[in-house]
Amino acid sequence: MAGFLIKRFLQAIFVVIVVTLIVAFAIRLTGDPALMLTQGAGSVTEDDLVRIREALGLNQPFLAQYFGFLKGLFTLDFGRSFLGGTKVSTLLAAALPATLLLAFSSLIVSIAISIPLGIKAATSRGKWADQLIRILSLVGLSFPNFWLALMLVLLFAITLKWLPPSGMSGFESFIMPAVTMGIILTATNVRLVRTAMLETLSAQYIMVARAKGLSENVVLYKHALRNCAIPLITYFGLQFGGLLGGIVVVERVFNWPGLGTLAFDAVGARDYPVLQAVITVLSLMIIGVNLLVDIAYGLVDPRIRTE
Amino acid sequence: MSVTTITPRFARFRNLEFILGALLAGGMCLAVIFSSIIFPGGAEKIDLMARLLPPFVKWTHPFGTDPLGRDVLARVITGGKISLQVGFISVAGAVVIGVVMGLISGYYRGFWDMVVMRFADVQLAMPFILLAITFIAIAGGGLTNMIILLIVSQWVQYARLVRGSVLALRDREFILSARAIGVRDHRILFQHLLPNLIGPVIVLMTLNVATNILLESSLTFLGLGVDPLIPSWGGMLADGRTYLQNAWWVSVFPGLAILLTVLGLNLLGDWLRDSLDPTGRTSR
Amino acid sequence: MTIKKWGIHAAFLALGLAGTALLAGPASAAGTLTISSPQDPGSWDPIDTFLVNWASVATNIYDGLTYRGPDLKLVPGLATAWEELDEGKRIRFTLREGVKFHDGEPFNAEAVKFTFDRLLGEEGKKGPQRSNYAAIESVEIIDAKTVDFHLKAPDPVLLTKLAGYGAMIVPPKYIQEKGDDYFNAHPVGTGPFKVVSYEPKIGIKLEAFADHWGGAPKLSNLEYRFIAEPATAVAELQAGRVDLVIPPTIPVGMIPTIQADPKLEVVSTAGPTVYALRFNTKSGPTADERVRKALILGVDRDAIIQSILAGQASPIASFQGALSFGNDPTMKPLPYDPEKAKALLKEAGIAAGTTLQIDVRGNDTTFNEVSQAIASYLQVIGITVTIKPYETNVLLNDIIPAGKTGAMFEQAWGGWTLDYDNTAYSMYHSGEKWNPYDSDAKLDALLESQRSITDRAKREEILKSIAHYTADRVLEMPLFNYNAIFGVNKRVKNFTPVPDSRLRLTDVTVE
Repeated sequence: MAGFLIKRFLQAIFVVIVVTLIVAFAIRLTGDPALMLTQGAGSVTEDDLVRIREALGLNQPFLAQYFGFLKGLFTLDFGRSFLGGTKVSTLLAAALPATLLLAFSSLIVSIAISIPLGIKAATSRGKWADQLIRILSLVGLSFPNFWLALMLVLLFAITLKWLPPSGMSGFESFIMPAVTMGIILTATNVRLVRTAMLETLSAQYIMVARAKGLSENVVLYKHALRNCAIPLITYFGLQFGGLLGGIVVVERVFNWPGLGTLAFDAVGARDYPVLQAVITVLSLMIIGVNLLVDIAYGLVDPRIRTE
Repeated sequence: MSVTTITPRFARFRNLEFILGALLAGGMCLAVIFSSIIFPGGAEKIDLMARLLPPFVKWTHPFGTDPLGRDVLARVITGGKISLQVGFISVAGAVVIGVVMGLISGYYRGFWDMVVMRFADVQLAMPFILLAITFIAIAGGGLTNMIILLIVSQWVQYARLVRGSVLALRDREFILSARAIGVRDHRILFQHLLPNLIGPVIVLMTLNVATNILLESSLTFLGLGVDPLIPSWGGMLADGRTYLQNAWWVSVFPGLAILLTVLGLNLLGDWLRDSLDPTGRTSR
Repeated sequence: MTIKKWGIHAAFLALGLAGTALLAGPASAAGTLTISSPQDPGSWDPIDTFLVNWASVATNIYDGLTYRGPDLKLVPGLATAWEELDEGKRIRFTLREGVKFHDGEPFNAEAVKFTFDRLLGEEGKKGPQRSNYAAIESVEIIDAKTVDFHLKAPDPVLLTKLAGYGAMIVPPKYIQEKGDDYFNAHPVGTGPFKVVSYEPKIGIKLEAFADHWGGAPKLSNLEYRFIAEPATAVAELQAGRVDLVIPPTIPVGMIPTIQADPKLEVVSTAGPTVYALRFNTKSGPTADERVRKALILGVDRDAIIQSILAGQASPIASFQGALSFGNDPTMKPLPYDPEKAKALLKEAGIAAGTTLQIDVRGNDTTFNEVSQAIASYLQVIGITVTIKPYETNVLLNDIIPAGKTGAMFEQAWGGWTLDYDNTAYSMYHSGEKWNPYDSDAKLDALLESQRSITDRAKREEILKSIAHYTADRVLEMPLFNYNAIFGVNKRVKNFTPVPDSRLRLTDVTVE
């Protein structure tokens, strides 16, 4: 067991190193930040550019810059933004909770929709309701998400004026972004819930519970749902990583002050430290979640350890 | 050709998911493929005197016109070409690479398995859209780059799927006996293993074509698209957002085109999954 | 277990956020104006920036020695008077007395010297503003209310440049005590509003500075929110959560949406921003002057302005707008004449169906439509056009300067000084970053000659002749001078649009 843990851990560290190396290298191909910073200036000489590169630390060799970054990773010091000199850690500290909260709310929305729908589909297996639920949940998956977002804004913020169109400011502001992202997951989650419920419902103790004359809702939501909770939670947890990767577009439409907005601005501005830090933090979270899931599986199912 | 083999198939045809999916995806694909016959040159003709005509007013422009006076219907139908090209070509590329990698790593195990799987880990640890933005900032937008990007980001899914199936199959009787009688490795891989694991791959392909059409529109929305002169659904949707309130038809029709096509593909994929992949490996 | 803990944590954070929102109060609080600005400059230090959206906020925080308002006239700012000495190589400023910075520190000659020593010294070297003020050799304190600027060479635009950007006067004691990094996020100036709080990527809040030398502003608070996506900014305007959307945000296509809302209006004014398609004059078909001329004749620029741009632009004959110093109003753009264009192309031996590429910024919705219309006009005269969209900063920093463009490329330009020198020198002088293709000794000489002349009339003459010369050589296809477009809630009173984004909101009130 210890061997398995160590192996998985070493693999994760290897992935972290390769990912950060690729990211650091790729970012430096996006172009020269010094040119970017001087594009509004009247006339710029090569000397000016050299000076600015020096001030930004870009005159050092790539590996030196990379190791500087790795070192910073341990002390949570990611340097300063090229655009304005704000500490990257300050920017991250503001943006990370915003993104995580949005991802989390999206997951909640999706679960809140898919559990009743999934259960209904399972109990009416093969009937019209089952078909309809699956098709409807696929409709949600088929929307271009920014278009859906714009339509929601048009309806709920401009026409009905029920919800704020953008920004992060209290409970109402979470509804539209979370629904936009949550709907995408719903198709998958309805299917997961349906499958899990179908397996559970055929089990002996459900028959017993029904035989005892318990109401159908008690049987479904108390007995059956509780028993398939663990695999479902694992699946939902795994989706967290995927959510984080796809959040940029939705953040942009809703002007959400999260990591996606931060990174999107940073690419345009060639703000290496910010972009590098955001991608690295997101990657670390994805790697971390995958590692946890692997370990959890390994603990539960010994066969995986040997694979 | 006996009646008994036809009846269960026929039953399957009654499945609502399949009928809807085939109608939507098939219909859209056919319309797009024959767009140049239906609308010869109609998608490009600019008429600044006929800007933003509403739909259902003039029979020549049933879906209205866009901000440059071009026919929205013609553009929606023609615009599908880019989206479908991106969707299908990128999936084809990802499948070829992914399946080969998956076969090799699952069958030979050892060193190559480790290399491929670590590659896969690295790939999966990168947040896609951010990587896409960075890549396009380096290499520029355009059709080819977008396809490359999607291939790079998706082959891993196939590699993992195929590897898993190969691991389960490689010690089965028919493979072991094939190896025992000296069948060459590449024949075992492509003639014995591949047909037995192609089901889930096809399911994943269908779903990924759908995903990629959506990704194309997202990337175009972020300003990373193709030549604006060539109509594309993503581009029309992204440009049309400016007019959403005073000329809804400019973006609603391409939006519906994406929605219906992608829905059709998703329905087909979902249906295929029940038929070809009953164990649900692709549901993840 | 972990998930549950998460939930509690998330709920806690959400509550905290809701709390802040309540404390901050709604946008409609008495005397508060909420503004949507498309970009967060990241730092409020004057030496760090090159972004117009720095200026749209910072104009309210800082003062310069001179001041230029919406009428574009140069008036006294922190200096009450100035005189040019030593044939323009020394300028003496008399400073305003009794002025205080927001933190109570007094403004005096010391602060002026500190500001410019900092701009031209080590700290300034890290930023982009320094090169704009390179003409200044040193600042000498004569007494507490008098300073002399010693110049390396006369700079006819310097007094204008002192009204904005890098020349904003900063507090010496505050910066020395708190440090430059602290100053970036907690700026202090002498302007009519002082900073209350700055949240990176979200917004900045200002409140009235009652002790401002020009009198207290009429509004009690300004709130800027950074909103990049135009559709989102307009949605916020419609929802009444934003009172004012400043340029460059609103694309022409969204103007009818705003106008359709009885509570809102669109206000616009001619700005410094001009658009042109510049040519690769070095190689390919566009190296031939006749071809370039034919391309201009083949595009109906007036029709584009009237239809796609809904009249929010005016035609130009050279690469400057009507407000620009050096513009010759008697100069007329080339007419739309496709027949003559075809004849010229034939004369130059260009076969029908020749393909030319136009490079554009991928995120500029309005210009995207313009370039497509241009493509369709050129199709008529037998030129096939492809449009290549680039990420804006890639086009500006890598493609154009390296001379890797197609036959034509989008160039949008708008020097806030509104002096043609700023444009012409960058566009046409040999070896400049923005001039990858052309080299013309005569043009170079003209451009250099006006740089040291402080006589306005004489300089204007030379600048006009430069404009004529470039038009004669057909160095670009001048398209239009684009308006600065503001979306305004009608509760905002006394609002005057500014051409140069330097929006000072001292006289504005809200209902």
